[in-house]
Amino acid sequence: MRNLLLVRYGEIYLKGLNRPYFLRTLVSRVRQAVADLGGKVWLHDARIFVSGCEDMDECVRRVCRVFGVHSVCPAIEMEKDDFDAVLEQAARMMSGLEGTFKVEARRSDKHFFLDSPSINAKVGEYVLDHTDGRLRVDVKKPDHVLSVEVRDHVYMYVRVIMAVGGMPVGTGGKAALLLSGGIDSPVAGYMIAKRGVELIAVHYYSFPYTGPQARQKVLDLASILSGYCCGIKVFVVPFTEIQMEIHAKCPDEYTTLIMRRYMMRIAERIARKEGAQALVTGESIGQVASQTLEALTVTDSVVDMPVFRPLIGFDKIDIIHEAEKIGTYETSCLPYEDCCTVFTPRHPATKPKMEKILEGEEKLDSERLMEAAVNAAEVLTL
Amino acid sequence: MIYLDNSATTRVCEDAVRKMETCMREAYFNPSALYGPSLEVRNEINRLREDLLRLVHCPEGRVVFVSGGTEADNLAVLGGTASFRDGKILCFGGEHPAVKEACKAARGLQCEWIPLLRDGMADLKALEGMMDPSVRLIAVMQVNNETGAIQPLEEIGRLRDRLCPGALFHVDGVQGFLRVGMDMKACGADSYALSSHKIHGPKGCGALIVRKETRLAPVQVGGGQEGALRSGTENVPGILGMGAAIRAWKGAEGIRLNKESLYLGLKESGLDVRVNGPDPLSPLSAPHILNVSLMPVRSETMLHALEGEGILIGIGSACASSKQRISDTLKAMGIPRPQAECALRFSLSPETTREEICQTVAAVERQYAFLSPFQRR
Repeated sequence: MRNLLLVRYGEIYLKGLNRPYFLRTLVSRVRQAVADLGGKVWLHDARIFVSGCEDMDECVRRVCRVFGVHSVCPAIEMEKDDFDAVLEQAARMMSGLEGTFKVEARRSDKHFFLDSPSINAKVGEYVLDHTDGRLRVDVKKPDHVLSVEVRDHVYMYVRVIMAVGGMPVGTGGKAALLLSGGIDSPVAGYMIAKRGVELIAVHYYSFPYTGPQARQKVLDLASILSGYCCGIKVFVVPFTEIQMEIHAKCPDEYTTLIMRRYMMRIAERIARKEGAQALVTGESIGQVASQTLEALTVTDSVVDMPVFRPLIGFDKIDIIHEAEKIGTYETSCLPYEDCCTVFTPRHPATKPKMEKILEGEEKLDSERLMEAAVNAAEVLTL
Repeated sequence: MIYLDNSATTRVCEDAVRKMETCMREAYFNPSALYGPSLEVRNEINRLREDLLRLVHCPEGRVVFVSGGTEADNLAVLGGTASFRDGKILCFGGEHPAVKEACKAARGLQCEWIPLLRDGMADLKALEGMMDPSVRLIAVMQVNNETGAIQPLEEIGRLRDRLCPGALFHVDGVQGFLRVGMDMKACGADSYALSSHKIHGPKGCGALIVRKETRLAPVQVGGGQEGALRSGTENVPGILGMGAAIRAWKGAEGIRLNKESLYLGLKESGLDVRVNGPDPLSPLSAPHILNVSLMPVRSETMLHALEGEGILIGIGSACASSKQRISDTLKAMGIPRPQAECALRFSLSPETTREEICQTVAAVERQYAFLSPFQRR
């Protein structure tokens, strides 16, 4: 008998011939998540099992955050040849509970000496007889469900903890997230990563206009995302020179948009170098001047790869709720200025004219500036 | 590295480090124990009490060792007002949160803020109008931690004696102790808070000095140490480390000269220097704090730029600087927002050298020339 986690996956069930690929990736992600807890992870009979973790609560917490995992059940593994021991264990597991219950048996081992209805009946009867009348049976709407799965062993569990769902990271390609330090971009990154996309993050650092605390804040956010993504590579790109050049040479109302265009260009260069196929931003229509449809068109036009904006139709309050849910909100709210707001003009253009933008950009030595920024980027793996 | 944020904290001096090491390795005994070695420790702590009382001219008073300035202020404010259920507290508007929050937390008492003048000094006329017999406690700091303004404690003490003689007068001396002389007798202060880590002593230690006749209730209870005013085994390494730092203190005159050089150096560089606080060359300005705005370069930008040159400065109270808002003190002084957004606090110590000041002036000049054209329009 031993304690382990029985991990169930969700959408991967819908996959056809390529299901093994998705499963292999998921197992490797779960393995990564619990590696330093000493956990052993294996796949058997459409379930992922995790055993050997000293800190089971932490193990549950981490596995629940692995994209692709539907739910996690802390279970007891029993030998199949001692059904009396199974019954005693069932009574022990139910002994602290009150209200109604049912037993739900599943039997993938068709050679087991009892079929599923018989297991339900025998286990249910034993539990009723050994829990001092504090439990009643209700098969329709029970308060507690004791699951008994007969596979290579017998697995029993009462608790089913819902996990994040989604697809295993790495099965959906790779994208570069523009990570600012605000509330939105970490949520956007989370949503894309949840669909199985491996992320790299690009952050623009404007020292001395923003300081080491602002940089640390972004690394902390990346680190939270990393908990879901099983690791994230962060590129901290020095951006001050470009911002100063824009500030000095471009029309005031266009400085933010021109800056955004350079951010997209640099992110695309880094993305291509790293084998990423798309960019991800936290923009949402109309949230600020640089996020009007006209402005988004202007920023999109400088890159040749898809730009994903998963928050495009979200209200701010919805984004905040998501940020709270994934645990980035508090860090995002730390009051350190980020690179986007350093030189914000008083009246930014909301309906930009492309010729004005191009006119401004012509005054900049774009190639040299961008190459210098990309080459000087600091790379950290979190 | 040039360290000019000594109002936030200071490097622990060698004498204090040595003393603390001895305390931890050899004289580690509990001062309340009954055997000889612990009696020696107790005697040494008591000698420091006497030294402190002499330093602040309160020979008959009591010294309560605590964990630092915040605890000392809390004990003075909350312990001093514990027996009252009504009345009011008058608190200086530029006070440190350790005092402000304690005043707000005093149950049943109403808190009123003493206004500031444009140079950061307490508005005595306004204070006079606020005083009446219902005042239970007046809290005014000796030196403002942001502007370096030395407050007129003797005048405040006289006003108290005339208009509300029953009120306690608490002085937060965290930024003033040793850098500005303190005479509790002359100013009529009932309690005086000081902190060790601002004067090259270790963190986690401070003291509240209380006049003999002043009644305080403890905030922390337990074994009855420190005359039952602060229970808990004494932090012997901290206390004796602080004592060593006090004895090693080199005086404030050298600091003042360096501060004046820094101010004049910046002014002569042709930068747009605006002083936040009293005239740095006047005796109303503390010897170690210079608060100026170098328009139009914002505080954080200059702070980081100087950090890039290996110079560490502050932009306000270190305890509140993570909140990133305009300083309450500068706002209360009526400093316009654009100027307050550019405020820098240089704070010196006896360890600051003339050469460091010259290097700082040159670095500020250099960074100012680089940054001032690139600010938000």
